[in-house]
Amino acid sequence: MVHLSSLLLKHYHGGHVVIRLALGGCTNRPFYRIVAAYNKRARDSKHIEQLGSFDPLPNIYNEKLVSLNFERIKYWIACGAHPTKPVARLLGLSGFFPLHPMTVTKAERLRKTAGQKEALGAPGEVSEEASESKPETA
Amino acid sequence: MPGHKKCPTDGRSPQFSDEEVQNILTKITGLDLQKAFRPVKQELKPPTYRLMTDAQLAQATQKAIQIAKERLKMPPVLPERKPIDDVLAEDKFLEGLETVKYVFTDITYNIPHRERFIVIREPGGTLRKATWEERDRMVQLYFPREGRRLTPPPVFKEENLMVVFLQDRHEDILDLCLVQFEPDSPDYRRVHKLTYEDIDKHGKYDLLRSTRHFGGMVWYLVNGKKIDGLLIDMIQRDLIQDTASVIHLYHMLHPRGSSAKEAGEQQAQGIDLVKIFTRTESQKAGYVELALQAYQETSTERSAQSSSP
Repeated sequence: MVHLSSLLLKHYHGGHVVIRLALGGCTNRPFYRIVAAYNKRARDSKHIEQLGSFDPLPNIYNEKLVSLNFERIKYWIACGAHPTKPVARLLGLSGFFPLHPMTVTKAERLRKTAGQKEALGAPGEVSEEASESKPETA
Repeated sequence: MPGHKKCPTDGRSPQFSDEEVQNILTKITGLDLQKAFRPVKQELKPPTYRLMTDAQLAQATQKAIQIAKERLKMPPVLPERKPIDDVLAEDKFLEGLETVKYVFTDITYNIPHRERFIVIREPGGTLRKATWEERDRMVQLYFPREGRRLTPPPVFKEENLMVVFLQDRHEDILDLCLVQFEPDSPDYRRVHKLTYEDIDKHGKYDLLRSTRHFGGMVWYLVNGKKIDGLLIDMIQRDLIQDTASVIHLYHMLHPRGSSAKEAGEQQAQGIDLVKIFTRTESQKAGYVELALQAYQETSTERSAQSSSP
């Protein structure tokens, strides 16, 4: 007997294809696959096609390895797939997409906080030097 | 017997892949079926026996010769690859974001590995193309080739290579090198150079004689003008045709030398070529002449014996 329910559930209504990271690996050792899947599916469950991988832990040469199947990514984007923010960030860093605005924003924010810390540290240093010189002269 | 030809008309010096050069080198390599089909370490299988007529046996030997020729195909000799330092983008404002490099590899299936995009985003924000070593590592990671390891085995270090040479295993190390490295990588060229130098120093030319590396060795020696040891070894084994071929190749590669000019004037063939070479450009002239004399004495003795009833 043919199971009709799985045939009926095959077509989603209102869903779309996304390119996202599916988590795999073991405890304390994450590993992401870059995957084209339906939006409504669970994160790690059945995907349409695997388009690459991303290893978030750096190796002995201090590199994070990302593999991307550009030809198939182009095909899925042409079919109307939406990449998620982390995937868009990786594609921007690789040069395939223009740089993601959040990457630029984060870099600017980091630089601002670093600048503020220096500014906070500098008056503190100046006052320390002044207090050191005063007892010497006194 | 190869006649003496003029150097190529387009002015370029002969390359390893020229048809004439390849013909000469294949002829010199020889085709020793016993050595080519020597038992290789593999899974134990009981031998198969077949009952054949004489005609079928001849066909089977023909087929075996074809397969041996395939196995004896020479690996290419390429010039050393130039290092890649191509910067695609410089984004200085990304400076503090990451402390690690990101390596992006394109895993599209149907492109040759040489044309694959492998790109690195440094922590300083520069997007650059990967160097050759990084390329080799990434390609081996995502498209693993059998027998090749991610980091080259320690055999290829200088001290360990010396040990291997003492054990006379030049052929095995060259096979390993062929599997592990690309033909234009500096490691491949270094290992081959060391092997050929060691063989030349100790005169162990016969180790490579019926293997695919013989042509490469002869090419290296002829380019470095170190063919004296090889000539002595060939004369001692009564391979005068091969000596003539080697000297012909030498003239093709160094057409402005004194030996080439003299041979061109006299249109010499065979053993006369050898004599001209020993007179003009040879370094170990004494040894080569001794070997030639010994060969001529033995050949006259043999002809005397065969003519006498």
